[in-house]
Amino acid sequence: MSSFNSSLILGQRAMREALRTPDALLPTLFIPLFFLVVNVGQASRIFPAEGTEFLFGQGYAAFQLPSSLLLAASFGSAALYLVEEIEGGYFDKLRATPVARTAIVAGRLYAEVVKVGVIAIAMVIIALPFGVRIASGIPGLVVLVVLVSLWAMVFSGLMQLIALKTRSAAATQSGSLIFFPLLFLTPNFVPRELLTRPMEIAATLNPVTYIMEAVRSLILEGFNWGSLTRGFAVVGISGALMLTASVRLMNSYD
Amino acid sequence: MNHAIEATGLRKTYTGKDGDVDAVRGVDLAVAPGEIFGFLGPNGAGKSTTVRMLTTLMTITGGEARVAGVDVAADPDAARLKIGVALQEAGLDVRQTGRELLTLQGRLFGMTGSEATARADELLALVELEDAGDRRIGGYSGGMKRRLDLASALVHEPEVLFLDEPTTGLDPASRLTVWDEVRRINAQGTTVFLTTQYLEEADQLAGRIAIIDMGTIVRQGTPQQLKDEVRTRNGLDAAPTLDDVFLDATGRTRERVAGQVKEVRA
Repeated sequence: MSSFNSSLILGQRAMREALRTPDALLPTLFIPLFFLVVNVGQASRIFPAEGTEFLFGQGYAAFQLPSSLLLAASFGSAALYLVEEIEGGYFDKLRATPVARTAIVAGRLYAEVVKVGVIAIAMVIIALPFGVRIASGIPGLVVLVVLVSLWAMVFSGLMQLIALKTRSAAATQSGSLIFFPLLFLTPNFVPRELLTRPMEIAATLNPVTYIMEAVRSLILEGFNWGSLTRGFAVVGISGALMLTASVRLMNSYD
Repeated sequence: MNHAIEATGLRKTYTGKDGDVDAVRGVDLAVAPGEIFGFLGPNGAGKSTTVRMLTTLMTITGGEARVAGVDVAADPDAARLKIGVALQEAGLDVRQTGRELLTLQGRLFGMTGSEATARADELLALVELEDAGDRRIGGYSGGMKRRLDLASALVHEPEVLFLDEPTTGLDPASRLTVWDEVRRINAQGTTVFLTTQYLEEADQLAGRIAIIDMGTIVRQGTPQQLKDEVRTRNGLDAAPTLDDVFLDATGRTRERVAGQVKEVRA
């Protein structure tokens, strides 16, 4: 059986698992929405649609939505399920089958892509009544969902590396907190050029900035190919690094 | 003779913060096809490490191992097709149903969806879990989980079945059920490599046994041969039990002090 087919079969199992644990799934939707409501509530009067150039005529919710989408993509719950499986022994059961080692890890990532894709669509739909419009239209929405889902896959893959290395739920959970500083060292409240100089430097060095700017450009501007190229490049490079490290770790896993 | 399991000079060294630890130090094994081979040893003796190397779950530091004629280090995927594994903890996904777990296992061994479904039905009947097949595994009892784990190891009809302490933690009735299942599987021609801490279990099931202590094999033979050897060497009047063989082989004795059982090194 090909590695891809094995990944799909294991991905279907991971999807079933996610649907059977709604208590773990629902926070992935509600916590980012909570942040969206709170941040928009706090800052929307400072940045009115009329007169705020960087909003391109939309409300502040449209500017904030990418932060919430990236937060939803960065829960890394796949890694926690993986640790649970390592501790419970099922991971060894899977390793004793003749499927490619990487398929065992990739199956969960495939499920993460689907799960976050659905959540991203749900968040955009929820945002529509609040005046948010996708300037790039339906094609742009598709690209947005693909980019956010791929980032979810990369982030979960990185968390899975921590899970495989430490085999500890506590360490893996702590690892997911890495994202929070990265999310806030971005132009999440105002564009990069309006940040203070130290924050601008930090945001420029932070790869998450480019994914956020790519998603934001799809919502506010349309297809900004420069932003999209940078966003997809960050996902591509970090994804390649994650996959290389995963293969190495799985092949030497004892 | 082609052996079902053959290990020569098998070694495993762990590298830790406090330096290297030799968990298995040159194990030689030869298990004939169709045998039930008991692998005994105290906690930390190297039983599970040996099993994990033989089942491709752990890298081998030194020596060679072949299972069903396949070099486990050189061609692990080919080896995995020929072996079934039920490890110490029943490794099950508690959020799936028994039927889903067996079907998934079948798919991962290359079966089509319909083949895997049919095989799952067959195995659920075999381990008497048809009624519980559509329930989530999280709600199974310990005995049911063990039986399901055993069934999942048999999905692809392996030539060699590795059972690592399959009855640990089970009540006596469940233990007897697992024993019956092991005998039945073996009667169909499957070689069984059984690690256990229960000497009675090895005595009941295994045709031959090996005792490992501190990473090396210290006794190997049929239970009767090992008992006879201890009786002759120690000039015993009564026939020794396998417990006596084990204690003799591992150098452990039991000393009763003030009503407590204390285990000491002889």
